[in-house]
Amino acid sequence: MGLPLFSVGDDPGPSFQKFLEATGRQLVVSHSEGMSAHATTVVALRCAEGVVLVGDRQATSSYIASRDVRKVEAADRFTAVAISGSAAMGMDFIRMIQLSFEHYEKMTDAVLSLEGKANYLSPLIQRNNLTTPFMVLPLLAGFDVSHQRGRVFEYDAAGGCYERNDFTCIGSGTPFAESTLRLGFRDDMTLNDAIDLAALAVYEAGDNDPSTGGPDFVRNIYPMIVTVTARGFVELPVEQTEAIFRAINDRRAASGGRAGGELR
Amino acid sequence: MSMPFYVSPEQLIKDRAEFAQKGIARGRSLVATIYDKGVLLVAENPSASLNKISEIYDRIAFAGVGKYNEFDRLREAGIRWADSTGYTYSRDDVDARALANYFGQYLGATFTEGSKPLEIEILVAQLGSRMRPTKLYHLAYEGTITDEERFAVLGGDAETIKQRFAATETTEENLTAALHHAVSALSGPERSIGAKDLEVAILEDQGARRTFTRLSDDTVAEILS
Repeated sequence: MGLPLFSVGDDPGPSFQKFLEATGRQLVVSHSEGMSAHATTVVALRCAEGVVLVGDRQATSSYIASRDVRKVEAADRFTAVAISGSAAMGMDFIRMIQLSFEHYEKMTDAVLSLEGKANYLSPLIQRNNLTTPFMVLPLLAGFDVSHQRGRVFEYDAAGGCYERNDFTCIGSGTPFAESTLRLGFRDDMTLNDAIDLAALAVYEAGDNDPSTGGPDFVRNIYPMIVTVTARGFVELPVEQTEAIFRAINDRRAASGGRAGGELR
Repeated sequence: MSMPFYVSPEQLIKDRAEFAQKGIARGRSLVATIYDKGVLLVAENPSASLNKISEIYDRIAFAGVGKYNEFDRLREAGIRWADSTGYTYSRDDVDARALANYFGQYLGATFTEGSKPLEIEILVAQLGSRMRPTKLYHLAYEGTITDEERFAVLGGDAETIKQRFAATETTEENLTAALHHAVSALSGPERSIGAKDLEVAILEDQGARRTFTRLSDDTVAEILS
């Protein structure tokens, strides 16, 4: 490709998506057998310090296609995105989002607001889901630097963007994860309480939903735990995620597989 | 019917070159130099928001002098080119030399065919990696690319500043020495430039993918003190 220069009237501005449209290129649909729609569980919840995200690691088609997929990624320093749905589209989606935010930052020498980032995703979801059979449903959560608090955004299949004050889930494990979160969520939880609750929600989903992978003690693969606070996007190291999931598992084993009437 | 005057190609080129040089000479100058850990870019720029130096890609920086609107358009095109090349292939495939060549072609074409030549000089700097060397590509208003060995000076007063810089240059300077050096070459013996009138950025590996960092006025003042 030569140097992409535009006349003043046709300039697509700092949006990378608009730029691709202006040069006649868009997301290319690739026919690959990835995850079946929504075979995932990712939860995001707000807490006093910011947000916590936990996402399972399993890619499911008619069998377990992969056990160590990353469904939560840093879109930039203070923003996390997670995907559910078609793997091929989802991976490309994350790449596009990461690139778009960085592109905007370089073009304008200013960082997009968290709300600006959330809104940017809407037309991408809408176009993808209405024009291809490969459905993608992301969620976006991050630390809003200008308002100094964590914020969580969810989307519907047509691209509608909704901010949630408490928590949100995506993927096929949603009923189980959401029930857990609904019972355990309190306003202004500490970061550690929020991590424990979010991990338990994904544990529940992994226990009940065949397309969600729980902790894999054999291969030492655990759902990803991510925090986004004033210190930015931090992914917990595997030793820490192992300890968290082992604790849940030990409690559950001790009570014979029953939650036992409280959040354990 | 009026007859157009005949202008010889030599005269045409000369006139255009003079025009571009005059335009560039009106602005302040810029120095880029390679130091022990990366690339330092220093511009005399009283504006805090209209930047002459900016980030193109993970290991590539852009700097321009002359007419702001003209080089800013090339800066934007450079970011678009780099981001879409990296998206299509891989981040490793974005090469400053390819970008400098495109800039050169555009400047050259505008110089000979455009209604007026661009009154700008630009620099494409690349921080080396295992795959590529550290490079400073200097592009003149008519599209000539120079692959500068250790440092580059852009702008109207370039020759004088270049001599001043070369006179005191030593190899393998650290950032502090390189910045002192660049600023004294820019200001000359008669005057001094304060941190507020300087725009400073570096390309340096700091453990992250992106290597471009702007140095704030406070940081610059601290280093220069």
